[in-house]
Amino acid sequence: MRRGRVLAGFLLAILTAMAAKYCLAQAAMRLPGELAWNIGYDPKTFDPAKVDDIDSETVRYLTGGVLLRFNRLTQKVEPQLAESWNVSPDGKTITFRLRAGLKFSDGSALTSRDAAWSIQRVLLLGDSAPVSAEFVAPDGVHVDAPDARTVIVHLPQRVVEIGKVFDEIAIEPAGRLSEGRVTSGPFYVANYLRSQYVRLRRNPYYELRDADGSVLPRASGVLLDIVENPEEQIRLFLRGDSDVIDRLSPEYYEMLRQRNPGTVRDLGPSLNTEQMWFNQSPASPLPAWEKAWFRNQAFRVAVSQAIHRDDIARVVYLGHATPAYSFISPANTAWYNRNLAPPRTDVAAARAGLLRAGFRLQGAQLVDADGHPVRFSILTNAGNDERLKMATLIQQDLSAVGMQVNVVTLDFPALIERLMHTQDYEACLLGLENVDADPNEMMNIWLSSSPNHQWSPSEKTPATAWEAEIDKEMNLQATSRSDAVRKAAVDRVQQIVADEEPFIYLVYPNVLVAVSTRLEGAQPAVLEPELWWNVEDLHLRGTR
Amino acid sequence: MRIRLLPVWLLVALALGASLIVALPGASYAYQDREHTLTGASLQHPAGTDELGRDRLVRVSAALLLSLAGALAASALTTAAAAAIGALAAFAPRGVAWLVMLVCDAFLALPWLFLLMMVRSALPLQASPAHSAAITFLVLAALGWPACARAVYSGGLGLKRSDWIMQARASGLRGAQLIRQVLPNLRPLLLPQFLVCVPAFVIAEANLGALGLGIGEPLPSWGGMLLELDNSALLFRTQWVYFPVALLILVLLLLEAIPVEA
Amino acid sequence: MKALSRLLRSLARTLALVLLVMIGSTLLVRLAPGYLSDAREMDARYSNTVREELAQEAARSHSLPRMLAREANSWLHGDAGISRQFGVPVRELIRPRLAVTGGLLLRSLLLGWALALTAALVASTRRKSGIVWQAPATLLLAIPTAAMATLCLLAGSGGPVFVMALLIAARDFKFLCRMLRQAWLEPHLLQARAQGIRMRRLLAVHVAAAIGAQLAALAGLSLVTALSALVPVEVLFDVPGVGQLAWNAAMNRDLPVLLAVTLLMALAVTASGMLGGQPSEWERA
Repeated sequence: MRRGRVLAGFLLAILTAMAAKYCLAQAAMRLPGELAWNIGYDPKTFDPAKVDDIDSETVRYLTGGVLLRFNRLTQKVEPQLAESWNVSPDGKTITFRLRAGLKFSDGSALTSRDAAWSIQRVLLLGDSAPVSAEFVAPDGVHVDAPDARTVIVHLPQRVVEIGKVFDEIAIEPAGRLSEGRVTSGPFYVANYLRSQYVRLRRNPYYELRDADGSVLPRASGVLLDIVENPEEQIRLFLRGDSDVIDRLSPEYYEMLRQRNPGTVRDLGPSLNTEQMWFNQSPASPLPAWEKAWFRNQAFRVAVSQAIHRDDIARVVYLGHATPAYSFISPANTAWYNRNLAPPRTDVAAARAGLLRAGFRLQGAQLVDADGHPVRFSILTNAGNDERLKMATLIQQDLSAVGMQVNVVTLDFPALIERLMHTQDYEACLLGLENVDADPNEMMNIWLSSSPNHQWSPSEKTPATAWEAEIDKEMNLQATSRSDAVRKAAVDRVQQIVADEEPFIYLVYPNVLVAVSTRLEGAQPAVLEPELWWNVEDLHLRGTR
Repeated sequence: MRIRLLPVWLLVALALGASLIVALPGASYAYQDREHTLTGASLQHPAGTDELGRDRLVRVSAALLLSLAGALAASALTTAAAAAIGALAAFAPRGVAWLVMLVCDAFLALPWLFLLMMVRSALPLQASPAHSAAITFLVLAALGWPACARAVYSGGLGLKRSDWIMQARASGLRGAQLIRQVLPNLRPLLLPQFLVCVPAFVIAEANLGALGLGIGEPLPSWGGMLLELDNSALLFRTQWVYFPVALLILVLLLLEAIPVEA
Repeated sequence: MKALSRLLRSLARTLALVLLVMIGSTLLVRLAPGYLSDAREMDARYSNTVREELAQEAARSHSLPRMLAREANSWLHGDAGISRQFGVPVRELIRPRLAVTGGLLLRSLLLGWALALTAALVASTRRKSGIVWQAPATLLLAIPTAAMATLCLLAGSGGPVFVMALLIAARDFKFLCRMLRQAWLEPHLLQARAQGIRMRRLLAVHVAAAIGAQLAALAGLSLVTALSALVPVEVLFDVPGVGQLAWNAAMNRDLPVLLAVTLLMALAVTASGMLGGQPSEWERA
């Protein structure tokens, strides 16, 4: 009897152990010479013209051949399929000269007809091709192909930094939509298993050569494993099943730094910002006195002064973030305003400022001139650990000046509904991702008439003098031909924003990446895609 | 006989100890010691601090009182509702049983996540953390009963066919009298249900944080502390993250060890 | 005749359930905050496209009966509608995932039952109720599924099947233990044991019969347990199954996908209910 029980227990243990071994999750097998990394979700589209999410963007970047490529490291536009290009003095005509003997990945010839067709297609698709909006007036654009190697684009009006727009237009075979199967870029889509992986193979007809004449891309292909969970991504990286990780969180960065030193890199501040703002919209259902606080510049400045940004960078980001006072990051050397004089952290000054603005302390609670206690909620999106922690730190910082803050997390659709539709919120803490260094990209955030003018969307006329001035300066930088004038205008906007604090900037999170020691040729850049912008050069050690 | 009540006394001692720690002068579950984040045990912080430098011992104690009270109350509600509904279905006419079980199945399948989202959007953003916590546990209790009710139903059916019930019915026992005899006999079925519900609710509350419901910052939530376990980077930095889960298991074992017949 | 009427009755029940679930989930999703919003609205580059899509969706979904009719219609046509998020017929999205999830469920149920039964048999024959046996089960039930999954990832061993099986085993173990203990205490079994009849024989003849009816209910319950753990397990282990899809659909308010997944769940739950209910029906007949 006893022996039977012991046996059963033993059997149980063996069964459990075997189950653990047998049930290991399987990743897709990697082919020789193939690079591998993770994307979070299924690409929504493989049509390069219709790309509007980050994972489709990755596939387009790796497969699409473009006339011009924006070098993420030097931040200069370089010809790619084009041999040369020039813009007319009035900025309205762009002429491209294609390289000789270009071919698609199926071996068919690539001519100016294909290039013109691809550009026209983007323009015709209108709203379903997000790139088209960057032409400002896409309806008036004409594309000509006078001979087999020349493409001429006529614009109705000058567009700032037009070269970069062509970095996003993949050249496809005219009239043959292939969903990335036939491409002019370094790779083409060979295989896609929904929610499992996308496999890219080397384009055998890729024209570009290395400086020493060797064939590019150096890797035989790329395996994009679809893995959403960061834990799993880390595990695959540690096992050598993926070669790079972008957008590492500070916690995982520190863990990898200890477990695998030499694989992680902190590239310094990114172009992205984390900020908090108060709802100033006249359409919001908030009580009148709250609206009055939020429209009061002294109130916003006091809140900004009471927040300890150093603590946020140190406690929340484990030191991998830089305190922020402007919408332009110091990493953006060309546009950052070095002479900015923002109100710094100073709790005494915050208290004094509030007193001057008519607020007073009743015990530990701040009340306004009419006796309403200063109490509000900060909204942020659920599932973002850093933002929740920042909000909790701010909660304590603001309680030091007598404000009572409630932290609320909502899932994204519910949050967006409040921000964009009902305007039923008091303050919000979110981040802004800047893909591009040029501040012209941020037009929609600063123009008071824009629906993305977060603190008070779609104003019919600017509500305040300073908003009117921002409108003026932003329009100036969008149309001026002189770089100096543009820089001066953007500097002025930075100073206005620092003074008025419609957005209270908190930190610039640093760019944190992990690169396997087996991977050669990696030159991580601050701009997206940080790790594979030079995918042609990437290869595993020992494979060519 | 005294020894059999030991688990009860231990639980009471635990609750008293937690209240004492929370009530201690200078103890604050919200104060952020930003110079000492995620530290191990020290004189100042006997169980270390969390990521924002808050004392873990005070937070765990407060959470023990708060989450556990909420989860226990919600579990009790749910189990009671399930017992009532399950027993009703088992002893009612077959048409009623059919309907009740149908509703049960539909209840189990519906995506209640969205109801919780609606509850959140109906709640003012300024609702205090405690307020939102109470509502959360109430909603959880209201949603938790069907799985349990089905188990009670099938247990009840078994009873219905048992000899002593036959006997009781034959000798003229009806309705309410019968139920009073049946319920105690369902206890071996209900106790594990109740115990399973407790950790489930503790964790469900934490997961609801994702929808803006649950216990909001800076109030400590046990579930929130348990969820720290799914971050391997944190586990890598300090072992104290396991403290809340160890305590939860202890509490559950004690609950389980309470003699039912007493 | 009797069999036919029973079949008809269960068919009617399934239909009623499908209808209830369909109306319920459509109502829930449509009324949830954020049905008519999209994260891309925040991005100036895409906001125009998105606003147009949302306006179309708003026009389509302002009356609930019409929404229901549309969904029902797409089900009758067999493609279960077009996913709002991916723009692909739902059937195409679900079919490959169904196989993955089915396999996962089957394997974890079998493994879980094997573990639970073995453990319960061993534990119930002990004279003293060992805390040694109860503690691991309590531990498994107390740790969040997500944390268990992370621990597995961290340890580099154990996968989705393992975690699910452990969960099922822990839950079933407690029930089985109680049932077996009760069974052993029945007078005839006590007598038999006192007489020294072999354990194996007792198990096969008496104990199995005593717990048989409850076992079926338990099987149903473990299926429900497995289904409830499906979403976190699949999301954390990146298993391309139905649970992962359901989570995605919920976060993106993708009604057609969600409806399909919910109906599948409802059917699975009903099936498990029948599993639990059948012996009693059969006995009464």
